[in-house]
Amino acid sequence: MNPNATQLVTLVRREVLRFVRRPYNTFLPPIITNALYFSVFGVILGSRIGSIAGVSYIQFVLPGLVVLGAISDSFENASFTIFHGRWNEYIQAVTTSPMSNRSMVSAYVTASALRGVITSLLIIGVGLVFTSVPVSHPGYLVAFVLVITTLFGGLGVVGGLWASDFDYLTVMNQFILRPLVFFGAVFYSLDVLPPLWRSVSLLNPMVYMVNGVRYGMIGVTEIDPNTSLAVLTGVTVVVLSIDFALFKRGYGLTE
Amino acid sequence: MTDPAIRASGLRKRYGDVQALDGLELSVDRGEFFGLLGPNGAGKTTFINTLVGLVHSDQGTAEVFGFDVEDDYREVRDRIGLAPQEFNVDRFFPIIEVLEHKAGYHGIPRDEARERAEEALKTVGIWDKRDTRFDWLSGGMKRRLMLARALVSDPDLLILDEPTAGVDVQLRHDLWDIINRMNDAGTTILLTTHYIEEAERLCDRVAIMDDGRKVEVATPDDLMARGTDTIVLELADPPRTAPRLDVDGVTDVELTDEGLSVTAMGGSQTAPAIMRELEAQGHTVASLDIRRASLEEVFVDMTRDERDYAEVSA
Ligand SMILES: Nc1ncnc2c1ncn2[C@@H]1O[C@H](COP(=O)(O)OP(=O)(O)OP(=O)(O)O)[C@@H](O)[C@H]1O
Ligand SMILES: [Mg+2]
Repeated sequence: MNPNATQLVTLVRREVLRFVRRPYNTFLPPIITNALYFSVFGVILGSRIGSIAGVSYIQFVLPGLVVLGAISDSFENASFTIFHGRWNEYIQAVTTSPMSNRSMVSAYVTASALRGVITSLLIIGVGLVFTSVPVSHPGYLVAFVLVITTLFGGLGVVGGLWASDFDYLTVMNQFILRPLVFFGAVFYSLDVLPPLWRSVSLLNPMVYMVNGVRYGMIGVTEIDPNTSLAVLTGVTVVVLSIDFALFKRGYGLTE
Repeated sequence: MTDPAIRASGLRKRYGDVQALDGLELSVDRGEFFGLLGPNGAGKTTFINTLVGLVHSDQGTAEVFGFDVEDDYREVRDRIGLAPQEFNVDRFFPIIEVLEHKAGYHGIPRDEARERAEEALKTVGIWDKRDTRFDWLSGGMKRRLMLARALVSDPDLLILDEPTAGVDVQLRHDLWDIINRMNDAGTTILLTTHYIEEAERLCDRVAIMDDGRKVEVATPDDLMARGTDTIVLELADPPRTAPRLDVDGVTDVELTDEGLSVTAMGGSQTAPAIMRELEAQGHTVASLDIRRASLEEVFVDMTRDERDYAEVSA
């Protein structure tokens, strides 16, 4: 392996080991949370709601929950690892190494995206306990999950560099991500909204992600998946460029 | 191409009201054991941090083996092993893995990284703690680990920012042995310390910094020679008043209980002239004792009031 590849692989390994070795903090929470969601929204409420878009409510909700888990975990992973490393200064072992700025960013984003992908799989696994999980368009499903987790890994890097206290991480997760996801058509179909709210919802980027994953799973969408995928990919490229630029400038890392 | 190991020119860095670096000029030769002394807040750590990219200087340039610290950051960092003043160790992993990771960040393949990590832990004598996390090490072991982590990438330039702060005598000697061996093998060493004895014993040259600037660079011996020594002469027939001594380098003559106390620059060189002068005046010198200035006194002189010092030496 050439030295550049070794550097990248080492940091990805370090990042992945960090969360893999602490499963009670990283893998158990999404399992429990989603088991609760499925019980309440799927089983208890779902029996009264009947079917939406031709599938049972629990199957309709599942893609939304996958997106919710994937983005919060990939975001949390990147923002936490960077912020915690800055807080305890051990990120300096990386930033004073000969790794290129691009390599550093790529490693943090890759590991965080992987964390999001694992969470998605865990949620689908929990879903399987409650219902059957359709996969209508596996290619789209994979593509959307990858682009979403990469995007939020990239955003998490920005958050981790920007944060100056642990509170910032909570604020970003609880007050920005969660509301956007909850109003991102996770639990309902856009069709149930009055026209005004439907239009407002279309400004929420999460709507496109949820619909994309939903298309991959149950084959139904309210928005063209190719357009969503293209836009999300574009946004991801922009966010990653911002990450590179921030690392290059030493934002949050250099005095 | 024989660029020096470190060359800094006109480095300036400001934090709010504090001018941490104020036009620092410094050059460290390859293979040198170089000491950086200076009071708290002199800017030593700030300077070191500009070399590894933790501080972005406002002005000036710094080069490491001819590579610019900003433009060629990868080349520079590839050559540096840094043991920083403050502990900054990854607490998620046992220390052997911390070292493996550090080696990996330097592009060293995994198998070799493992070997290097083992070797580094053995070198600093904490091999039996390899599976422990940083938090569970004692203070001295933590210092040892900082050195091990700096060594693991086999650097050409080893930077040690107060490596012996708060460690016991035994460990201090161990650390000295290790870095001396590294230096003998050709590694350039930049050491900051508040233990003057350490600089005196280890360094080829020392720079004294104050207020973000270099005040002086010299060998420890040279510096000590510049200090004012005290020569105490016992005269067979003590005079009532201190005799006038018209000898170059003598700054003060005083009569004390011990005898005649002469303050002079470079005591060992001036002593014979003083004796000749006294004998010419009819005194008989019964005994002579030269008390050399320690590097510590020189250091205190230079940094406490460097403007006065500048006048004296001008
Ligand atoms: N991040 C920072 N923000 C503000 N001021 C800083 C910062 N880092 C250093 N300083 C200031 O810059 C000056 C130089 O600090 P520096 O740490 O370089 O000194 P030093 O020579 O290493 O001192 P010591 O011997 O105590 O380690 C000090 O006045 C310090 O307060
Ligand atoms: Mg310091």
